[in-house]
Amino acid sequence: MLALKMLLRSWRGRQLGLIFSSLVLAVAVVTSVALLAERVELALVKESSSFLAADLVVSSSVAIESGWLERAAEEGVRTARTASFASMTYFGDEMHLASLKAVESSYPLRGALKRSSVPFAIDDADIESVGSGPQPGELWVDSRLLPLLNVELGDAIDVGDGSFKVTQILIEEPDSGSSFSAFGARILMNWQDLPASGVIQPGSRVSYRLLIAANEGQADNFDTYVDWLKQQLDVHDRIITPDEAQASIASTMDKGRRFLLLAGSIGVVLAGIALALASHHFANGQLLQVALFKGWGISANAVRRLYIQQIILLGIAGSAVGLLVGWGFHQLLITTVREWLPIALPAAGLKPWITGFATGILCLIGFTLPALWHLPTQSPLAVLRRDIQSKSLNSLVRGSLGVLTVAVLLFWYSRNLYLSMAILFGFAITAAASIAVGLVLLRLGKTYGHWMGSIWRLALSNLWRRKKPSLIQMVGFSGAIALLMIMVVVRTSLIDEWRWQLADDAPNHFLVNVAAYELDGVKSLVNERELETAGWYSMVRGRITHLNNQLPSQVAKDGHESLRRELNLSWTSDLPEGNMIVKGQWWQANTAPASGLAPVSLEDELAGELGLSLGDTVRFSVGGLSFDAEVTSTRSLNWESMTPNFYFLFPEGYLEDYPRTHMTSLYIPGEEKLLVNDLLRKYPTVQVIELDKIIDRIRTIVSQVTRGLEMMTLMILGCGILVMFAAVSLSMSERLQESAILRTLGSSRGLILGVQWVEFTTLGMMAGLLAALGAEFAVAMLQRFMFSLPFSWHSWLWIAGPLGGGLLVGLLGVVYSRKAVTQPPLQVLNSL
Amino acid sequence: MIEVSNVSKQVVTSEGTLDILDGINLSVEAGETLAIIGSSGSGKSTLLGILAGLDLPTSGTVCIDGQDITAMDEEGRAGVRAGHVGFVFQSFHLLPGLTALENVALPLELQGIDDALQTAKHYLERVGLGQRVSHYPRQLSGGEQQRVALARAFACRPTLLFADEPTGNLDTGTGKKINDLLFELNKEEGTTLILVTHEKTLAARCKRTLELQAGRQLAEPTGITA
Repeated sequence: MLALKMLLRSWRGRQLGLIFSSLVLAVAVVTSVALLAERVELALVKESSSFLAADLVVSSSVAIESGWLERAAEEGVRTARTASFASMTYFGDEMHLASLKAVESSYPLRGALKRSSVPFAIDDADIESVGSGPQPGELWVDSRLLPLLNVELGDAIDVGDGSFKVTQILIEEPDSGSSFSAFGARILMNWQDLPASGVIQPGSRVSYRLLIAANEGQADNFDTYVDWLKQQLDVHDRIITPDEAQASIASTMDKGRRFLLLAGSIGVVLAGIALALASHHFANGQLLQVALFKGWGISANAVRRLYIQQIILLGIAGSAVGLLVGWGFHQLLITTVREWLPIALPAAGLKPWITGFATGILCLIGFTLPALWHLPTQSPLAVLRRDIQSKSLNSLVRGSLGVLTVAVLLFWYSRNLYLSMAILFGFAITAAASIAVGLVLLRLGKTYGHWMGSIWRLALSNLWRRKKPSLIQMVGFSGAIALLMIMVVVRTSLIDEWRWQLADDAPNHFLVNVAAYELDGVKSLVNERELETAGWYSMVRGRITHLNNQLPSQVAKDGHESLRRELNLSWTSDLPEGNMIVKGQWWQANTAPASGLAPVSLEDELAGELGLSLGDTVRFSVGGLSFDAEVTSTRSLNWESMTPNFYFLFPEGYLEDYPRTHMTSLYIPGEEKLLVNDLLRKYPTVQVIELDKIIDRIRTIVSQVTRGLEMMTLMILGCGILVMFAAVSLSMSERLQESAILRTLGSSRGLILGVQWVEFTTLGMMAGLLAALGAEFAVAMLQRFMFSLPFSWHSWLWIAGPLGGGLLVGLLGVVYSRKAVTQPPLQVLNSL
Repeated sequence: MIEVSNVSKQVVTSEGTLDILDGINLSVEAGETLAIIGSSGSGKSTLLGILAGLDLPTSGTVCIDGQDITAMDEEGRAGVRAGHVGFVFQSFHLLPGLTALENVALPLELQGIDDALQTAKHYLERVGLGQRVSHYPRQLSGGEQQRVALARAFACRPTLLFADEPTGNLDTGTGKKINDLLFELNKEEGTTLILVTHEKTLAARCKRTLELQAGRQLAEPTGITA
């Protein structure tokens, strides 16, 4: 096949190196990121499922319909029912209002239960992970129930009408969550014991859950079932996804994944630019060949066919190599981040491979084909007359095709409009500014260059004389620099944010439900160990009875938990850290609503769910007393911070007279962990929420993800350098020719290299300056819309851009044109 | 073989219309050799381009084997060239990425000829470069490069060969050797040869000469019509 033969000869003649490596890089970047993203995503779903003990949960205020279970059995979907409720427990004369959860034998569907036969066990050796809960007739209980009821393992306690044996200490349920609603000691019982205990009566306040999970390899059945199930839900029911179950980890991973996508997208755009530049260069080298072909009587159509065949062959070969390289790189990335993936990564499907391959073909169609498009129209007369040149495709058309390809690739690849737009606009601004400002700068350089030495004069007038390739190079340089800047800035701010969030002394324990009379005791226990709390918050337990002076309808009550259960109300004069006012105003000193009611600030989403807006009134019932409050502001909360968050906040002076409890968060280092036991033995009603394990886990994840990001950054930097190479090589033969002639005329090595250095450094500095502009814009967009990071001005970009750009491009240029002074001029001319 | 009647070529420049060729009439029979001579800028190369169907006259007709190529579109003219025409250029126009053998074989391969490489090798041996087949143009001297170009031109067995200053880039000694080779091959292959030159000695080796001055032919082509 002639096309193949021609392609191989071009390869041998080193004309294809840059096109091929750009193509391989584009495909490799996309494939590695797509493979990694898909596999991590699959693993993450599994991982987060363990926080939910299922793949998906339906939470309901009424009993789960038996029809749902039957349908699940038909579809081959696994299920487990749980029911959570409060009930009085008795042993001898002691009693305690405990938080019970009855679970079916199949519970948990994901993750594991942790139990121990040692009360207050901390040592891992004492803790056992198991795949199912208590047998009928048995109870697993919180350590603190033992001192509360004065029981020991093996004793039988009364729950409702039944008597059950306490067989194990319950250390951890996968789906325990971090809600403060469970105030009683937790008890796990078997679902089959529910009827015998008779604790659930009509009208009992019970939270039912249906846990569902896919069987191995039956994801389709699972999806079908979930779709069906969603149509069955009514106001009593709510779906909980794994992401909601573990917001901190999900958010870290999500940002990591988005960065991966960003880096991948930037890689594709960079490789695209390199491909476009390399193709432009390649096309110029083909002009004589095509003129000869035409002279020999080969028709334009035959020439076009020949080149299209070559592009297809190149696309297949480049994509195949790119897929291999991409696979290798993704393996390398996985090795780096393996530790934070406690479970084996599931194999990826076909999609990443298809994505990678299609990227290669699309890149060639968008970047290489337009550059070669004019070749068949090359006049055969060019063999006789050098001044005859076929008109290449209008640069506007070519530019638009390139931009369109980039847009399609970006969107198809990231499925994220903001990301695509930010990169596209950032790049477009850089390119447009490069052309407009670049022309002015070049002109200025030429005009004022004569005031400087001969090197400067010659270099600046050269740049002006070659303004078209100079501008193309500038677009390439500035685009590459801008994209690299975007990536580095986002990466830095992400990592900084994570580090800040997870400072070494970030609170890792919550102490909740500390009664007023226990407060001093608990405080002194904490102080004895010289531990610092994040401040004590007072809480009052209250219920919502009326919204805007109306009783909530039964439908509304069924639809929202906040209308059914007791809520934590707190007060503070200062807006807590991490809270942001969404609507209304935070209270100023001594200001109250005109209505004379107590002002209240609501969490914004909750306000929306309850249909409350500014000026609406809410009646609370606290310990049998009622009062009205007016909504004066709504707030967003930072759930990723490990500090107490409240849905309802009041100013000081309204709740102090109601019976209250206290809470705080604090950092307890590993060696002080026994404090928890002392605390619980002495104050059994205090609830300790231990987040240290989860925080350690997040910390490991963050550090591993950071390492992954660093590697990705390096790979993208590689893409950037490739673009620079492509851009530098663009005008190289003309430069070498001129340098050889200058050399023949006796110019010194210093003058020739000096001219090249000044030309490229000037180009690089201008490009760096323009890149800072585009990068600042794109980063602002990305931070605002994609990473939810605050906007910040990056003054270092404006310094590092021109300096780094000038240095890098200048060096590349000099290295490339060294040949002009190290080889005899005739040899240089002959090799061109 | 070639029938040229009343061919003129004008180009529009910023200073008005410029006559490059004016009323050229010419007839070349198969197997003839014709030299087009004249000083620089006299229109020699333009005429060669028009005769070869690479360019179009502003007026007049050019017929090759009875077909009016000036009435054809580019694809039609390409079709005529494909069957008949070979070229030798002043600056050789060898493709730098291909070896001598591949350069010679390329037009044959484009025509879909199966034993392109064997044929190419045969012609390279014929021009005395049998030992240099795998050398790249940059590894060959100017004279050797032009010999490769001759091999490439004749390997296609053209009936009509156009040569544009074939020795213009070579020294006298080398140029003479190339000319000898050109005429030898031409004789062997029975090709019609039309060459452009400003060298009187080279022109003298052709059977006929057409002299141009400022785009006009000085007289009817001199020499013997076959």
